[in-house]
Formats: sequence, C-alpha cells, structure tokens
Amino acid sequence: MTRIGRVLAYVTLLAASAVTVLPLLYMVSLSLQTEAESLAGEPVLVPETPMWGNFVELFERAPFANFIVNSLVVTCGITLSHLLFDPLVGYVFAKFRFPFRDTLFVAVIATMAIPFFVKMIPLYVMMSNLGWLDTYQGLITPFLMDAFGIFLMRQFIQPIPDELIDAARVDGCSELGIYWRVVLPQVKPALAVLGVFTFVFQWNEFLWPLVATSTEGMRTIPVGLTLFSQEYFTIWNLTAAGAVLLFLPTALIFLASQRFFVRGITLTGMK
Amino acid sequence: MAYHLTRRDLLRIAGTATLATAAAPLATACGSGAPKSDTDGDAFTVYWNAGHGYQAYEKVIDEFEREHGVTVNFQKYQWPDLRTRLLADLASGTVPDVVETQGAWVQEFAVSGDALSLAKYVAADGAEMGFPDDWLPATVSRNSHEGEVYGLQLHYTCSLLLYNRTMLDAAGISPPSTWDDLLAAAKELTTGEVYGIALNQDSSYAWPWLVQNGVRFYDPDTRAVLAPREAAEEALRFQADLAHRHRVSPVPVPSTDYAGPQKLLSAGRAAMIITGPWDLKPIADTSPDLELGIAPVLRQKEQATISAGASMMVPAKASRPDLSWDFLRRITTLDVERAATREAGMLMPRKSWAEQPEVQDDEHIRAFADGLPHARDFLEEIGPTGRSGEIADNLFKTLYQSIVVANTPVSEAFAVFDEAAGRALAG
Amino acid sequence: MGRTRRRSRRRTLDARRARTAYLMLLPAIAFFVLFTYLPIGNLLTTSAHSGPRADEFTGLGNYTRAFTDPAVRHAFGITVLFAVATTVGALVLGLALALLLNRPLRGRVVFRALLLVPYLTSVAIVGLLWRNILDPELGVLNRLLAALDLPTQQWLITHPLATIIGVMLWQHTGYAMVLFLAGLQGIPEVYHEAATVDGAGPARRFRHVTLPLLAPTTLFVSIISVITGLQAFGQAYIITDGGPAAATDLYVFHVFNVAFEARDFGYSSALSFLLVVVILAFTVVQLRYGRRGEVRY
Repeated sequence: MTRIGRVLAYVTLLAASAVTVLPLLYMVSLSLQTEAESLAGEPVLVPETPMWGNFVELFERAPFANFIVNSLVVTCGITLSHLLFDPLVGYVFAKFRFPFRDTLFVAVIATMAIPFFVKMIPLYVMMSNLGWLDTYQGLITPFLMDAFGIFLMRQFIQPIPDELIDAARVDGCSELGIYWRVVLPQVKPALAVLGVFTFVFQWNEFLWPLVATSTEGMRTIPVGLTLFSQEYFTIWNLTAAGAVLLFLPTALIFLASQRFFVRGITLTGMK
Repeated sequence: MAYHLTRRDLLRIAGTATLATAAAPLATACGSGAPKSDTDGDAFTVYWNAGHGYQAYEKVIDEFEREHGVTVNFQKYQWPDLRTRLLADLASGTVPDVVETQGAWVQEFAVSGDALSLAKYVAADGAEMGFPDDWLPATVSRNSHEGEVYGLQLHYTCSLLLYNRTMLDAAGISPPSTWDDLLAAAKELTTGEVYGIALNQDSSYAWPWLVQNGVRFYDPDTRAVLAPREAAEEALRFQADLAHRHRVSPVPVPSTDYAGPQKLLSAGRAAMIITGPWDLKPIADTSPDLELGIAPVLRQKEQATISAGASMMVPAKASRPDLSWDFLRRITTLDVERAATREAGMLMPRKSWAEQPEVQDDEHIRAFADGLPHARDFLEEIGPTGRSGEIADNLFKTLYQSIVVANTPVSEAFAVFDEAAGRALAG
Repeated sequence: MGRTRRRSRRRTLDARRARTAYLMLLPAIAFFVLFTYLPIGNLLTTSAHSGPRADEFTGLGNYTRAFTDPAVRHAFGITVLFAVATTVGALVLGLALALLLNRPLRGRVVFRALLLVPYLTSVAIVGLLWRNILDPELGVLNRLLAALDLPTQQWLITHPLATIIGVMLWQHTGYAMVLFLAGLQGIPEVYHEAATVDGAGPARRFRHVTLPLLAPTTLFVSIISVITGLQAFGQAYIITDGGPAAATDLYVFHVFNVAFEARDFGYSSALSFLLVVVILAFTVVQLRYGRRGEVRY
C-alpha cells in the first residue's frame, strides 16, 4: 500500500469510528448528569460533576437487579437454544438429501418475512392458555430458534467437504456423533457469530417482554427502563444510565468473542 | 425502597435454565406442569401510568391489601405500552382488575363492550362518596356512554399559558388574554436568543386554539368533523403563522416527547408556552429561579381551553368487579386527592378539592383550578363514534403536522384529512 | 445380482438417512408450526373480520380496502424507498469499510470493534439518543455546530426520511461490514495472485475477482438488509413518531398503529399478510437474480 493510501485509510477509519462512537459517549455523559442538567433547555456536553449515584438510583427506584437477572436468564436461555438448534437444522439442510427438503427450507426461510408483532396477539393468547404468561418459559419459547440463524449456519456448513462427513460415517460414527464431533468443530467461529448476534438481538427485545410479563419483578431491562419516564417527559439521566448498563453485557460478549470472530473470518468463508 | 432477589426467584432461574436448554422442545408440548403465576393466588392487578405512582396511592393500596387480604400487582407503563398490553389482554380474555386510562379510552371501551358499566355501583355508593354531585360535570359526562357511567375520573387538568414573568415585565407587557394580544406580545418578546412562544409538537396542544375558536371535533347531528370548518382552518393557520410567518415560535419537531417547550421556557429561551400542570415540577426542578406566571384562559370567539387527565375503568371481564369498584372508590376520596396534590401538584376532579388549602394557598395550582371550569374535553363527541383512536391520534396528528410543521396550505391538508376521516367514519 | 443388492442397500441407506434428517428436523418443524404457522393461520382468519374485537365477518373487505387506501400506499412507498436506500447504503459503506479493514493495517481489530459498536445497542436506545442529538432547538449537534460557527440543521423537519435512513445506516453498516470481512477473507489469495500475474490492476482485480467471489455474501447481506428495512419500526416509533405529516410513516409502524391505536386488528392482519407476500416476493427475486450473478471458479 502506498503511503498516501495508508494515510487515507486511517483518516477514513478514524472518521467513521468517531461517527459511531461519539453519540454513544454522549449517552455516557447523559448518564452521569444531574436530572436538571439532563433536562435543561441547553444541552450539557460534559456534566459538572459526574453523578455516579445515578447508577445506584436505578436500583433504588425499581427492581433493577431483577431486570438484569431476567434479561440474563431469558437471553442466555434463548442464545443457548439457538446454538443448539440453528446449526443442527442448518446442517440437515446443507448436507442431507431427502424428500421435500427444498420445500421445507423455503418454509423455514419464509418465516423471516413475518414481523414479530404480527404474531404477538396469537402468541399471547397461546401463552395465556398455557398459563405461561409472566414466566421464563413464556418469554423464551417463542424464540427458541429462528430462520436467520438456520440460514446463516447452512451457508457456513455447506462448504465443509462431504468426504469428511462420509469418512466419519465409515468409521462408525452415529449421525449425532458426526454432527457433534465433525461438523460443529469446523464452524466454531460461525457459532461465535451466531451466539453474539442472537444475544444482542434478544437482549434488546422489547415488545414480547412488554406484553408477556405481568409483574414488575419479571420485566427485562428494556421494558424496565420505561419506568424512568414521567407521564409527559423522560428522566434522561436515569434512562441513559440504564442504557449504559444495558449496553455493557453486549459489549463484553462481543469483546470476549473477538478472538473467534478473527478466526471466523480467516478460517471460514461464506458460501 | 430497595429490591432483593428472593430464593424463589433463584429457584425459578435454575429451573428455567435447565428447561430452556435441554427440555425446550418438550416444553412446547406440555403446559400442565408449569406454574400459573398469572392466574393463581390473590393478585389484584392494576395497570397504571408510570408517572402516577404516587406515595399517596401506595398508601391506599396498602390499606386495600390489608382490608381484603389480596396482593395488589401495581403495574406501571407508559401510555402507549399500557394500551398495547391492554388490547392483548382483551384479546386473550385474561384482564386486569383496574385500568387507568387517558383520552377517550373509557368511551371507546364502553362502545366496544370491553368496559364494565358502573351504574349499579354508583346507584349503591354514589350518594355516600359524593358522586356525581361533587365531581365537575365534564368529568362525569366524559366517562359516560348512553347515560351510564363506565369510568371514574382520577386526575383532571387543563392547559393554560405559562410565561416568564421577568421577560414580560422587562418588556412592559401584561399577560395576553386574546390571540391578538398574544401575537403582539410574542413579536415583542422574540429576540435573537428568545422565542416569544414555543408550540408543542404534540397535536393535542393545538386544541386550546381550536376550542377558543369554537371548533368541535365532531358534530353528531351533522356528522361533520372539525366544524365549523373556517374556524378550524383559521386556528391551525394561526399556529402555523406563529412558526413560519411571524417566526415567533420554533417549528415543532415531531417525536414522542412533549417536553420541548417546557425545556425552552426553563432555559429562558422561550417567553411563553401553553401547557398543563405536569410541566410545573420539571420547571421548578430545572430552573428554580424562574419567575413563572400563569395567564387566565385565553379568549378568541370563546374563553375556553381543553381538559386533560386520567380516568379509571374496570374491564367487563374482570373477575372481582366488587373489589375493583372498592379500589376506585378508595383512590378517589378527597383525602387521597389532597395528598396527591401535596405530593405531586396534580389537579383533581372533585369540586370540594378546589376549596382546599393545598389548592388555594398555591398560586400555580390555584390558577389551574380556576381554569378548570372553562375546560372541555375535545374528544367527548368523537369518543362515542368508536373511531377516536384513528381520527384523533393518527389523522389529526398528520393534519396538524402538515400545517404547523410542514407549512402545507390549509386547504390541501384538510382535503387529505377529510378523505381519510370520511373513510374511518364510514368503515 | 450383486448390483441389485448394492442398489437396494443404497436405497435403504438413503431411506435411513432421510429418516435421520426428519428426526433431527422434528423440533424445528414443531417449533415453526406452533410459533409461526399457527399464528399466521390465525392472522388470515382475523384478516377476514372487522370491528374492534375483529368479530364481524367481511370476507376480502380488508384487502380491497388496503388497495384503495392512500395512507397505505404512501406508507408502502416510503418503506420501499427506506429499504432500498438502507440496503444500498449498507452494501456500499459496509464493503468499503471491509476492504479497508482487510488490509494489513495496525489497529484494525480495534477499528472493527468500534465500527460494530452501534449494532450492539438497542433500537430504542439508538432512537432516544439520536432524537436527543438532532433536535434543532434542544439537541447537542446544533449546539456544537453553533459553537463552531457552522450553519445549524433542521433535518428532522427538512429531511425526516433521509434522517432515519441515516440513523439506520449508522446502526447497521458495521454488521454488513463484518459479514463482508468474513467473505473477503474467505477468498483464497491465489486468485488475486493469478490475476496479478495476468496483468490485472487493482480496479480490474476488484471487478473481476473480488466482486464475483463475494456474490454469496452480497446476496446474504442484501436479503437480510431488505427484510430488515421493510420491517423497520423502531426508527419511526421512537425518533419521529411517523412525522412530520406521515413523512416517516413506515409500513410496519403504520400497521402497528392500525392494530394498537385504531384497534382494527382485522385490517392490520390483512396489511400484515400483504407485507409478508411482498417480502417473500422481494426475497425470491433477489435469490433468482443473485444466483445468476454468482460465478464459480
């Protein structure tokens, strides 16, 4: 790369990073402002004295510890379930031949076309009949797997050479054994991608936890955050503080999986 | 009050974690073993606005729980979320025991058959609790449908002109009482840094102007919407002109936030705003030094303003209507109203409330209490059509924004509105 | 005879493998039937009814109403615009950033993380944040611009749709970038080397080697992005409330309001079903067109 090209590349990347990061820094600033500062008619860029107490106040004004635990349980439950089912189903569609395969695959992919709220009322009635409203299983089961993850995993599993799988079969491996010992290790990086994106998506889910919980103690963080608004205005500093707490786990998960992302990018391409 | 995780929570977490991972497909097939936390026990569920969780109400709830041996599940939501949740409940048939409502919801749900008629309870307990005699008449009619009461008013407020007294005094202007006064004052007060007035982006804030010009949202006799039409056009045009022609107000920015004008007033960047008592506390909190004045109700063709406030209703399918009624009764006593006023500066529907020291000794609350007799519910006549959700929330919002935000010619904006409103009323 | 036995053994093997496949698919089939296709069936039934409780039969009434409703036509038009703009934007910006990060630059891991950060935040928070930044009177952006003596903006009033397209791109470009990076690094170096030996310059190598080999990634990103765009909701719900004057009344936001503000579940079900059909059509066209563009080396 030429010297000028390198400089241009850095300038572009720095500018782009500034655009993505600065707004989030402003959110952190909001989370450390007093209520008066955050509601003032003149926006405050940097608070006079950082109000770390805002984070304590979250826990005093609402069962925020419950929100965190609920969010963790629900999101981890869903993410684990995705990691369990999405690759398995993707593997079947990628490597098995059987009648109606393409029809079934299209039927699965078609579910991506449906916005969630469309299914919300029927699901709500179903959960209500099961007596699962306000329970973890009620929050988790509608999201056990999804077409996006299956599609993604199928794309990643397809390039694995058939010979590898056939060899294992000749060695007497059971079908699940092949999946577990041969296929999954090949797509570990893709699993990291799937895990992170599922976690992020579900962690921020709002509509279903809003309608499917009936007590404050069962709310997840995004739904719980709506408590930090008055009838006619949002209490900005507390909402921002909650948003910062909401953001931390997704950032941590992402950082923790960075290593896999790198390998994912070098080892496996998309077919 | 701090919250802790109980052992039950932890057990539930452990149980679900197992369930979610290993037995997930199984779980979808069997429902009998699952805990039915939603329906079991004695939980008495109340849906409430997140901004109204006053200590005064918590106290009533404590007494209610002790008296009836039930646990009150006090669920607080933002208005749109509360409505989403309630509609899902109505679809499933599992409903809460009491719902706090806003706008024309009580009438809407009375029309659709989802609200319980309170007539028999009013007949039994009305005299003792002073209903309807001690309630402002408008607060009874806006919660009634075909002569029967379906809801009890909880809060009752109105919109008035708030101003920065220091600015008006400095300019030698007295508080405006007509539109002409107001426009002249706004022009005088507008400088490089200060707007004479700040309009709200929310379309309901257009209604004080409309009622002052004698406009009704719906005329049941002629089935006309926004009539008389010239008066409606004039009122909306006047607001658009404040922003676009005279440039004495910022152009309001559409969003879900109502607080813009209040923030500008607090920051000394706007001299006047039109709003309700809910902005008093934020103003006092963020700008304690501001000398706030409240003008009497403005007059154009009529001296009028709009009411706002919340009511309560009982869903038709509520399982313990007697208990629900008792909850409504307890939370609307004069003592509770006074406590809520002391605590949050909220305005109340009882006539006797207006006589109390909490009201009379507070200059600002008294000003609003004095405005209440001039207040009308602009949704009252459109409510019984059962279409107020679509017409008031969606179509009127678009009309208001077309004219006041986008500065679209009035006739053009009304043509779009009429076409859509006609369909809504016909369909 | 040996051949027949081999063939029949092969057939039983195939049958057994098919059985295994169905067995492994069983949870997925049960799941999608229960949690997607049953609700869709319910949706279709509801779409044939009207009234606040959706209990009055109207047949196809809601569908004919949809085709003549100017507000629906408007919402659909701007939503297609929104989806196309965000998809093209995410493809171009995402690929450009991925190409940059695919070079041996120091700190590229850090840059990759920083560029993906907006994707990790919730739409609700992003919406509240940008509303707070962009407000012409109260926002922090105009305060900064004024402090720097630059002209201030009123984008939420003057260019509302472009503004929420921008916010969407802000959040989703990093995601497209990551997928493109994965695609780029999956292209074996030998192809580029071979092309270089053949005397192809960087531009030609990009056009004739990189782009064709990236086609599967491009296809995946564009399908996901179009679907996300057509289903976008939060941007309108939280930043603009669909305004001003319905300028950002995105389709799903419109349908949501038909359902939960106007309480017309029959009509909203019909509108939802029409959207599902449109999304499927888009996806099929993209798959067809995208497959044709794929080149295998």
